[in-house]
Amino acid sequence: MSTSAAPAATNGSTGAPVLSVRNLHTAVATPEGAFDVVRDVSFDIQPNEVLCLVGESGCGKTITALSIMRLLPTPPVRITSGEIVFDGSDLTQMPARRVRDVRSERISMIFQDPLTSLDPVFTVGQVMTEVIRTHRDATKAEARDMSVDILRAVGLPAPEERFDSYPHELSGGMRQRVMIATALVLDPEILIADEPTTALDVTVQAQILERLRQEQQDRHMSMLLITHDLAVVASIADRVAVMYAGEIVEEAPVDELFSNPRHPYTQGLLRALPHASRKRRELVPIPGLVPPMQMMPPGCRFAPRCPHALEQCWTDHPPHAVEAGVGFRCFNPQPF
Amino acid sequence: MKRIAARTLYTLIVLLLSSIAVFYAIRLSGGDAVSARLPASASYEEREEFRELLGLNDPVHEQYFRYMGRLLTFDLGKSLTNNADIFDMLTEHGKNSLVLGAAAFGLVFVIGVPLGILAAVRRNSWADGSVMTFSVAGMAVPNFWLALLTVWLFASTLGWLPSAGCCSTKQLILPAVVLAMEGIALTVRMTRSAMLENLGQDFVRTLRAGGLSEASIIGKHVLRNAMVPIISLAGLRIGQIVGYALVVETIFGWPGLGQVLVNAVLRRDYPVAQFFSLVLIAIVVLSNWAADVGYTVANPRLRKA
Repeated sequence: MSTSAAPAATNGSTGAPVLSVRNLHTAVATPEGAFDVVRDVSFDIQPNEVLCLVGESGCGKTITALSIMRLLPTPPVRITSGEIVFDGSDLTQMPARRVRDVRSERISMIFQDPLTSLDPVFTVGQVMTEVIRTHRDATKAEARDMSVDILRAVGLPAPEERFDSYPHELSGGMRQRVMIATALVLDPEILIADEPTTALDVTVQAQILERLRQEQQDRHMSMLLITHDLAVVASIADRVAVMYAGEIVEEAPVDELFSNPRHPYTQGLLRALPHASRKRRELVPIPGLVPPMQMMPPGCRFAPRCPHALEQCWTDHPPHAVEAGVGFRCFNPQPF
Repeated sequence: MKRIAARTLYTLIVLLLSSIAVFYAIRLSGGDAVSARLPASASYEEREEFRELLGLNDPVHEQYFRYMGRLLTFDLGKSLTNNADIFDMLTEHGKNSLVLGAAAFGLVFVIGVPLGILAAVRRNSWADGSVMTFSVAGMAVPNFWLALLTVWLFASTLGWLPSAGCCSTKQLILPAVVLAMEGIALTVRMTRSAMLENLGQDFVRTLRAGGLSEASIIGKHVLRNAMVPIISLAGLRIGQIVGYALVVETIFGWPGLGQVLVNAVLRRDYPVAQFFSLVLIAIVVLSNWAADVGYTVANPRLRKA
């Protein structure tokens, strides 16, 4: 399924990445102090590739994406250090006005819940037209044509009529198509999709994913797809970054990650996954829970739940190691 | 559409029931129209004759049907105290009330909504604090006291504005502001909380991701969403203004419907009192009906329901 034609390498060894996140720290301020919800996260997105950001809820996937879009709810959440380099500029330092020019025109984002993510008192067309006319010199008629074309392209039936529909008149899958169409109408270089299928019916999920994949290939666009669903990852990703407790613990090409995971957390995730070819194999849950952010262990954040934890794992924080194009944070990687 | 039809039917029923209630209440409130009209020296026979003439000895329900019948043919009758034509009183005083009420209603939104937006956008700032303090004060202070206070300050002490009378712009300012104050206070709060609620909605993030300016997101999208409850309660503001008009018109000597009604009740001038009560009730009920229709129009989710 996946196009693993790209060389199995991470961290930008295949020329210039379109987006480069470097040592990103994003913290939330609480009455007890500030805590990193995203800690020392680095990754590149190459042209034309789908990078999946995987992890359980609360691990910092969405905060990472919102950091890139500069859409964090500030206060209390804000970027404390690091760089997000896009087209030679650091998005974290960019004035708000210029960030607005990047949004949608060059980097778009779609969200999890298409029911609450669309403005209920404006029609699909009114919002799409406004997005287009914010960025481009287009007449209303031109904006309408652009919108109807993209609505048709993402597989919305009767796009001319849907242009004048309110979100409540559409089904969940149709709303998600509207959100995708709005995100793609200006032909951005990067699409960030935050759990775009989680709120949808299973049958609709597959259609939406297929549509995203298709658009990504047709438009030679890069995509950062956030999901907790490894089946989604297997069907769409070129490369995968696994997040745990605010950190990227492993990053690898998708085939490599599924066949030869290094980090015990990745291994645990895969063992917890039902697999058609391994019938009746017992699913193995990862013991324990993610520590709350006020009580993060000083060493490896996964150590309390890790079957292979060494003494060192409790005291020292594992650095990001790279081995044969796979990046991971672990002192004691075991064969899967 | 179904929703609007149901509300219309409900409105008509309320109007009918309140006309009955008003009719009985005035007759049960004690006192006598006859003693208001005839001199104290009038004999018992003269009084009885007068009662017969007005039909006051008939059972109340007969009087009611007779009255409603005349009302439907626009025969409003005359005042018992000065024989003035009630229709003329309505047009003359109604015009004054309309000016005052419209001014107050306008102030509610022209002042209330922008202050609410300011408080929401600058949440927890000194501006928010001052606006909310003003709002609490506006709700807590009774309007008759506020009326006396403003007369003392702006008329007696500073001499900037006249204390009473009709109908210049200068004379309009104090009663309109006093009449609007509670509505302004409530509208500020409602606007602020509706703006804050909608600012936290997911769709705001989507619009930001679309690269829209904050001016458009707040001034157009969030405001339009926030206006749904504000518009739906605008009708209630009209009701409030009509209710307070009785007090405020009397204090400021503004010759409107409220003042006419208060005087008519004091003099047991049945035809005038019951007709103007009905007028005020009709305004309140119809404005609530209009609010419902407005809510349906403002909220696309209800249009087809």
